[in-house]
Amino acid sequence: MTVFYSLVLAFMMLIPQSQQQDQKARQGTYAITNARIETVSDGTIENGTVVIEGDRIIAVGINVAIPEGAQLIDGSGMHVYPGMIDSGTSLGLVEVGSVAETNDTNEVGEVTPHMDALTAVNPNAVAIPVTRVSGITTVITEPGGGLLPGTAAAINLFGYTAEQMHAGDVRMLVLQFPRKGGFGNFRRFRGGGAARDPEAEYKKAMDKLNEIWDRASLYQKIAAAYAADPSGKTMPVYAPEMDAITPVLTGDRKLMVKVDGEKDILAAINWVQERKLTNVVFSGVSEGWRVADKLAEAGIACLVGPMLATPTRGSDRYDRAYANIGLMADAGVTVAIRSGETENVRNLAFNAGFAAAYGMGKEAALKAVTLGPAQIFGIDADYGSIEVGKKANLFLSDGDPFETSTNILALFIDGFNVPIESRHLDLYQEFLNRDEGRLQPVEVLPADH
Amino acid sequence: MNRFTLICAALVFLLAGSVSAQDVLFRNATVLTITDGDLENTDVLVSGGIITEIGSNIRAPRGITEVDATGKYLMPGIIDAHSHIALTSVNEGSSPVTAEVSMEDVVNPYHLGIYRALAGGVTTSHTMHGSANVIGGQNETIKHRFGTKDPDDVRFEGAPRTIKFALGENPTRVHGNRGSGGTGAIVPATRMGVEQVLRGSFENGKRYMEAWDAYTAEAATNPRAVPPAYNNRLEVMADILRGDVLVHCHSYRADEILMLTRVFNDYEVRKITFQHANEAFKVAPELAAYGAYASVFADWWSYKFEVYYSTSYNAAILMRNGVVTSINSDSGELNRHLYHEAAKSQRYGGLNDAEALSMITINPAIQLGIQDRVGSIEIGKDGDLTLFDGHPLSVYAIPAMTFVDGIKYFDRFEDADDMRLQISPSAEIGTFEGQITGRDHIHDETEVLDFFELFGEDILTTIDSQ
Amino acid sequence: MLFFGAILLITGLCPTSVHAQKDSADIPTVSTTYAIEGARIVQAPGRVIDSGTIVFRDGVIESVGRRATVPYDAIIIDGSGMTVYAGFIDALSRVGVAAPERTPMAPVADTSNPTYERAGITPEKQVRTLLNPSDKSVDAHRKLGFTTVHTVPHGNMLPGSGAVALLHGKNADAMIIRNDVSMAFQFSGARGVYPGTPMGIMAKFRQLHKESSRRLRLEQMYASDPAGMARPPADIVHTAFFPVIADEKPVFAHTTNALEVYRALTLKTELGLTMVLTGLSEGFDTIDKIKTSGNPVALTMGLPDKPKWAAEIKSDSLDQILASYTDETRTATFRDVEAEKRNLEAKQLVTRQKYVEMPKMYAEAGIPFAFTSYGVDSKDLSTNLKSFVEGGLSSDAALAALTVNAANILGLSASMGTLDAGKMANVIVTSGALFEDDTTIKYVFVDGHKFEYDTKTKKDDAPSSRRRGQ
Repeated sequence: MTVFYSLVLAFMMLIPQSQQQDQKARQGTYAITNARIETVSDGTIENGTVVIEGDRIIAVGINVAIPEGAQLIDGSGMHVYPGMIDSGTSLGLVEVGSVAETNDTNEVGEVTPHMDALTAVNPNAVAIPVTRVSGITTVITEPGGGLLPGTAAAINLFGYTAEQMHAGDVRMLVLQFPRKGGFGNFRRFRGGGAARDPEAEYKKAMDKLNEIWDRASLYQKIAAAYAADPSGKTMPVYAPEMDAITPVLTGDRKLMVKVDGEKDILAAINWVQERKLTNVVFSGVSEGWRVADKLAEAGIACLVGPMLATPTRGSDRYDRAYANIGLMADAGVTVAIRSGETENVRNLAFNAGFAAAYGMGKEAALKAVTLGPAQIFGIDADYGSIEVGKKANLFLSDGDPFETSTNILALFIDGFNVPIESRHLDLYQEFLNRDEGRLQPVEVLPADH
Repeated sequence: MNRFTLICAALVFLLAGSVSAQDVLFRNATVLTITDGDLENTDVLVSGGIITEIGSNIRAPRGITEVDATGKYLMPGIIDAHSHIALTSVNEGSSPVTAEVSMEDVVNPYHLGIYRALAGGVTTSHTMHGSANVIGGQNETIKHRFGTKDPDDVRFEGAPRTIKFALGENPTRVHGNRGSGGTGAIVPATRMGVEQVLRGSFENGKRYMEAWDAYTAEAATNPRAVPPAYNNRLEVMADILRGDVLVHCHSYRADEILMLTRVFNDYEVRKITFQHANEAFKVAPELAAYGAYASVFADWWSYKFEVYYSTSYNAAILMRNGVVTSINSDSGELNRHLYHEAAKSQRYGGLNDAEALSMITINPAIQLGIQDRVGSIEIGKDGDLTLFDGHPLSVYAIPAMTFVDGIKYFDRFEDADDMRLQISPSAEIGTFEGQITGRDHIHDETEVLDFFELFGEDILTTIDSQ
Repeated sequence: MLFFGAILLITGLCPTSVHAQKDSADIPTVSTTYAIEGARIVQAPGRVIDSGTIVFRDGVIESVGRRATVPYDAIIIDGSGMTVYAGFIDALSRVGVAAPERTPMAPVADTSNPTYERAGITPEKQVRTLLNPSDKSVDAHRKLGFTTVHTVPHGNMLPGSGAVALLHGKNADAMIIRNDVSMAFQFSGARGVYPGTPMGIMAKFRQLHKESSRRLRLEQMYASDPAGMARPPADIVHTAFFPVIADEKPVFAHTTNALEVYRALTLKTELGLTMVLTGLSEGFDTIDKIKTSGNPVALTMGLPDKPKWAAEIKSDSLDQILASYTDETRTATFRDVEAEKRNLEAKQLVTRQKYVEMPKMYAEAGIPFAFTSYGVDSKDLSTNLKSFVEGGLSSDAALAALTVNAANILGLSASMGTLDAGKMANVIVTSGALFEDDTTIKYVFVDGHKFEYDTKTKKDDAPSSRRRGQ
């Protein structure tokens, strides 16, 4: 067997250095030379080299030693960036939005915290390659629907199994914080029907949340006591929902609170403080700018976005959604950018571009899709910047990846040199000149036009 | 009116020295003309709402508003060929054929969406009937003259009539695949049915037209000639057959796109723009040969099965194969950055600047039949212009001002935050109202796709609503 | 003898005969003549008699003047301290017609081709078949001073044909003074079937109108000479359009916002309809359009609720807030959020004020208008009228809207709208000037029939201690 693989490797080394010919992602030793490296953690390196071995970056700099046998990628005139991280998507959980059988985000019931998104991720989702060829290498994918819809996970966008894709072991419990005033003035046409009482509904939802949390605390106490010394004790009741909440109570797992409206954010801040939860992040936060001072004061990190959205109120300035994250950052809130997308997570880069243009600035926007989220999720030892020892999640481009005129030329995830291909590219290649393989002329309608 | 007359009129105007609200002079811009290249350090003069001069150091008529455009980019106002803004209602989804209804009747000039589109450089929208029906209602082309309460003031006067058709999953879901509730399903439930609804409607329209032509001939000599029963639905079908109405057809799959070209060929209907047309790239040569146009998304896909096999390279493939292609929004969110949507074609297919920009200017103008009036910066065209900080195809570009007929309707620095023309006198204020995001396929909260979204559970209740 | 005979003749001819008239259940009527003496009489806006007498017999006003001969058999009402006005006329309402119950409707097999009934297209439906004098709304309206209403059926797009009715009578026919006077129309779509949307309604109306024109012409041709002609198609809905096409019947188009006004006027111009526009809830945005079109209008007596946040605030503070509004707010960061909220509140008050001042704006623009209670809760009518007056509508203009103008629009000027000899005895007697807070309505006469309203003053806690007639 070893002989066979050695032969394959030997054969591989004779192949010219064209990314497109070898359609299989491979780890190995690579050196991207003479490129402009945006490390994010430590500024820009002009004419630098990045060396990758296995799944790690082993060297970054101007005069670095390139291991023998490394595949060279000439980065002259090119840029290297850390792979982008999207802090909120449903990538891999939905194949075709309107076909319910292909949508695994929303389980039956309001209280299903134990539903594990990672389980439902389809590593072969067509949208995954479509996303990564735009330079996004890691995403948070989240369940949705009820009050506690499940547990989100961080995944790298390359892998044949969920375990291979799971990034940094990151899981977060999702809490859809109850919303005051229902949907406000935003009308989705739902026919007539009985008048709803938003205040009563809100109170019911908050009561429910508090009841769940109180029980979860008790559950945890019981479980801990039983685990410490089971002798003489009846076995505790089994509640998988509560098992899923336990790690949040102990602070071992992050709670991701999905909240958007001004009043709801304030209520959520109060609630997490009352419950003494410190391992918390807010997600969505579309009105975060209104209470940015309170968020900064509370020290709660926010996964903000999408930027490409309409303002939340008719009275708001037209560019409020673009500027929201910048205003929050100005007030001292720790932020990351989320696209909230399913099939167009690739637009994360453009969300970041708009955030930059409307107040955040390019540097902060870049950080908000790289090192920023990595720090928030506690995986910055491995992700988020181009530094020696970190995972080789990075890409090579011919320009600023936020600009639409930029092309992504090479992609590394977990050190795998992932081919730049996707269904969209395949269709392009096939249909750009559809009939070039044909010898007889094509008859097209109409004959007598 | 020919250009010479216009220029003379403009000169007289200038000499007379009086300026109107529709006069403005842009100084020293980089002018993206679309049809005649990019001009550096160039002035553009608008008089009486018409572009009358393009050149260097234009002499300013006394009292005219001057806009210093140094370092900025001036481009034609963006045209959105698929929108549902400014409408009180979108889908008369109770019947698969509703050619007789028209968006002309439900234009809503109050809609804040008009202002928000102006803030994204859009000056004209083709605001359309929804996609619930095979043959939907007639659409309306509007100019974004935001601030008026009179619907007639936003109409694009002289714009050709257009009508909405829809193929595929939307009409079959709305009409043929109804669920419980005892409400019967009606044809079409399949793509086969869609074709038959089309053919039946055209055939009936043809016979209607012939019956009325026969009557008209007879009535010339016989005072007791009996006119055929009047049917305003078939009247519109006849108008389509006569070539008086441009068809814009919501479609996705390559096979249904070709089906429509076959039907149209049988009835000699030539003017067709395929809207969305996610799979048009698969039949680009056929479309180019027929002279059909396409108005597509930059990158939406996979939200329904019929767009699962699409590619964001659609626009580029179509352009390269000679199909007049535009990029539209079909969204009250996307229409605020159509310049960015068009720019995506540079990543997805390598279109150059001129090609990318043409897809939101002259191409949609052609598809709406208004290319003599708008879509490029040329002498004699309407003063519908938008000024950018930064090149429009850069993600960092920011629209600074937008003009329609020479009147400024959007100014990033001067406009108040709250631009609403009407508010509720009693609703709760200061609350989160909701958002449309880039992935919201409900399109502006008024277009709905499913029968029960259209009519809710209340289809079973009594009729009185007051 | 002759005199006696004359009386018998008169009473025999008048529908309001002595025999039928019983104000209290079993007490016989002794006279059909009333005289209100020494009252301030407002014959019409601008025509006031400071102290005078009005006499009416058998429902007809006999005389009005500073000194009027009081017939020997008159029931005399001491009008000192009171004011007498002409009874109010409601230009469009559903008074007397019970709202239909919300029962589930049968599911429809083909939503594209529903029955006329299901589609809400019933222009032939006569309100006379639905009018009920004992309906609670009749007394509720009368108590506010209304004596006459133009009433139409409930429904959707074309609910039916209206009638002018008095708010008194033992049955519908007795109430109705003019039947089949209007085609009611509104932009209310049928639920779940065609046409459900405003554009569907517009298209359907045009279709019905044009096809009806054709059929009318065919009917005329066929009537004059049927030889060789197929019998023209006919159905009850198209036939109901014939008087509209012949310009004998106006369309009363009820609108609930500014855009509906434009839509209605579009149909009017396109189809050459005679139209009365009612409602115009956002009429402040259509003043110019109405002025140029010259179309008769009846403004809604409805007002939007006050916003909840304003409920606890005193009106002086509210005025201050109103004055503080600026349309130039910039909310840059979280620091500006408080100021934004206050300005939005002010904006809301400014907006509501437009509704309050709308009738005043129409009066100032020189547009004559009537009032309509269509879609308005009757318990709000009085308060709202007072608000309009507080908002700047002169009480003369308000009175005109409720009397003279309404009579003009409905073609009833010959018999009502003012207190002049010969007109119908539709009379209101109040304790003071109309539209003021302390004024109460003491009597309402409908066609000469007296209704007494046991009024309570604001200071009075024990109504039973009050003496009648004060």
